[in-house]
Amino acid sequence: MATLEISSVKKNYGKVEVLKGIDLSINDGEFLILVGPSGCGKSTLMNSIAGLEDVSSGDIHIGGTNVTGLAPKDRDIAMVFQSYALYPSMTVRGNISFALEIRKVPKSEREEEVERVADLLQISHLLDRKPSELSGGQRQRVAMGRALARHPKIYLFDEPLSNLDAKLRVEMRTEIKKLHQRLKTTIVYVTHDQIEAMTLADRIAVMKDGEVQQFGTPQQIYDDPANMFVAGFMGSPAMNFLTCTLECIDDGYGLSVTTSDDERYFLPLQHGDSSLQEWIGKEVILGIRPEQITHVIPHKQEQSCVARFTAKVAVAEPTGPDTLVLINLNGQEVDCRVHPMEEKPAGSDMEFMVDMSKAVLFDPRTEKRLL
Amino acid sequence: MALYAVLLLAVLFYLLPLVVMLLTSLKSMADIRAGNLISWPEEFLLDAWVKAWSSACTGVSCEGVGAFFWNSFQITIPAVLISTFLGALNGYVLTKWKFRGSDIFFGLMLFGCFIPFQVVILPMAQTLGWLGLANTTTGLVFVHIVYGMAFTTLFFRNFYVSVPSELVSAAKIDGAGFFTIFWRIILPLSTPIFVVCIIWQFTQVWNDFLFGVVFSGGDTQPITVALNNLVNSSTGVKEYNVDMAAAMIAALPTLVVYVLAGKYFVRGLTAGAVKG
Repeated sequence: MATLEISSVKKNYGKVEVLKGIDLSINDGEFLILVGPSGCGKSTLMNSIAGLEDVSSGDIHIGGTNVTGLAPKDRDIAMVFQSYALYPSMTVRGNISFALEIRKVPKSEREEEVERVADLLQISHLLDRKPSELSGGQRQRVAMGRALARHPKIYLFDEPLSNLDAKLRVEMRTEIKKLHQRLKTTIVYVTHDQIEAMTLADRIAVMKDGEVQQFGTPQQIYDDPANMFVAGFMGSPAMNFLTCTLECIDDGYGLSVTTSDDERYFLPLQHGDSSLQEWIGKEVILGIRPEQITHVIPHKQEQSCVARFTAKVAVAEPTGPDTLVLINLNGQEVDCRVHPMEEKPAGSDMEFMVDMSKAVLFDPRTEKRLL
Repeated sequence: MALYAVLLLAVLFYLLPLVVMLLTSLKSMADIRAGNLISWPEEFLLDAWVKAWSSACTGVSCEGVGAFFWNSFQITIPAVLISTFLGALNGYVLTKWKFRGSDIFFGLMLFGCFIPFQVVILPMAQTLGWLGLANTTTGLVFVHIVYGMAFTTLFFRNFYVSVPSELVSAAKIDGAGFFTIFWRIILPLSTPIFVVCIIWQFTQVWNDFLFGVVFSGGDTQPITVALNNLVNSSTGVKEYNVDMAAAMIAALPTLVVYVLAGKYFVRGLTAGAVKG
C-alpha cells in the first residue's frame, strides 16, 4: 500500500506521441480509475506504471521510491490482466503461489497465503483445478487471487471485467468495491466503461489522445466537467449538447430555445460572471444532462432557475425506472428523463421542466468550459 | 462404397513398393530368380535380414549395416534434441523478447529453409576443418543442428506467436526472469510443437545422405551412406534380398516414429490455429 505519483510522463513510439505529459498523484489506499476511449493511452500508462513498457521521459514514484527505471519485479506491484493470463499448465494453487515461489517464500507460508486468498475470494474448492476447467467468472477470481497473494504496494487492474457477461460484470464490480473497502489498498484500474469508473473510483482520470482531460472525484467529473469531451464521455445516456445563443435579460443570463412548434422559451442560468459578457449574442453550447429535463414536478418549479416549456415527443423509450423521451429543441435532438407515469406517447405534446442549476456552457470552438 | 474402392486403390498403389521390398527381403536368391517381382515367397526366410545386419559388405569391410545403424542414432538423437531446443529458445526470443530488428533477423533466418544442401557443403567443410571437427560424428551433428535450426525456429516462432504475451507480462510482474518464464510457463505449453519438430527433424536427419557422405569418416558414417555402399559393393552376384532388407532396416526408425507420434504430428501442425 502506497502513494503513486506520476510526473510529466511521456511516451513516444517513433514519432507518435502516445502519452503527452501525464501528471497524476493519488494517496495511500485510493482507488484511481483511468478511463477513456480506446487508443487514449490508458493501457500504455498502466503498462508504464507496471514497468512493462519504458517511458520516454518523466518519473513514476511508488510509495516515495522512484521506480522509473526499475524492472517490473522490483516495483512491488501486482497486476490483473484483461485476459487473466493464468498460467495454463499450473493449477489454481500453482498460479496463486507462483510469485511467492519465485520470491523464495517458504512452503508453509506459501500454503497459508494461498488458503487466505482462496478464503477471501471463495475459491478454496477450485485450488486443484487447471485454468481450462474454470468458468469465466472463476478465472477472473483466480486472476485477482494471484494479485492478492503478495502484499504489493499497488494493485493494477487492466480492464479486468471486460471479458465477463453483463450480469457477472455487475456482481464482480461490487465484489471489487467490497474488497477495496476491506483491504484499503492502492489500486489503479483501467476501463473504458464509464459506469465502472463512476461506481468504483475515489478518483477518476479521464483520458483522451494521450492527455488527462480531467482528474477528480467521480462527482466532480460528473457535475463539473472540464470540457465537452469529459461531459459527453461520462454519463449514460450522454449529456445533451445544444447550440444556442446567450442572452442577457434584466442582468440575468439565459439561453433561448425554440421547439419544433416554433415556440420560443427562455432558459435562465443560475449565475454568471462578467466573463460571460463578451459571449452575449453569440452562439454557445449548452450542456444539460437528461435527468435535468423532466416532467413537471410541482414542488421544484418554484426554484430560481427552473423553466417550463412544452414540446412534442418524438420518441419515448421506457427503461423501467424511468422513460427516456426524445424531443427537438433548436432543431437538435434532446434526451429527457421522465417518470413512466408522466410519459406521453410519441407525437403528442408534453410539458417539461428544466433545472438549469447544473447546466454548463462550452465554447463551441475550443470545447472548453465557459460556465 | 465407391469412395472406399478409390481409397483402397490408392492405398495399394502407395504400399506396393513397400510390399515388394518386404517380400523380396524374405525370399531366397533362388526364389527371386525363379519368380517375379510380386510373387509370393516359396519360403519365408530371415537370412537376408541377418546378413544385411551383420555380414553384408559395405565397401571393403563386410560387417553389415548394424554398426552404422547405431551411428545414425548417435548422430540423429543429439542433432534432433539440440536443434529442437535451440529452435524453441529462438522462437521464444523472437516472439516474447523482441528486440530492435528481431523481425528482420527472423526473416533472414528463414532464408536457411530455402538454401539447398549442396550450397553449404563447401563452406561447411572449410568451417568444420577450422573447428577441427572434420570427419567426426560431432561435426556431422553440428552441421545438422545448424541446418535444422532454421526450420525449428520457424516452427516454434509460429507456435509462440499464438501464445498470449500477457502470460509473459504476468510472469515478469510475478518476479520471474527470462529462463524461469521459459522453463515454467512457455515449455509446458509446447508439447504439440515439440512433437512436430522432433518428428520433422528426426526424419530429416535420419534420412540425410548428402551431409552424411560428405562430412563423416569411414567408421562414423550414417546408415544411409552404408546402405548406398552396400548396394554398390557387388561381389559378382547382386543380392536383391539383402539390399531390400538393408533398405528396410534403414527406413524402420522413421516408420516407427510416424506410427507412434503421427496423430500428434497432425494435431501439432494445426495447433495454435484454435485457442487451447
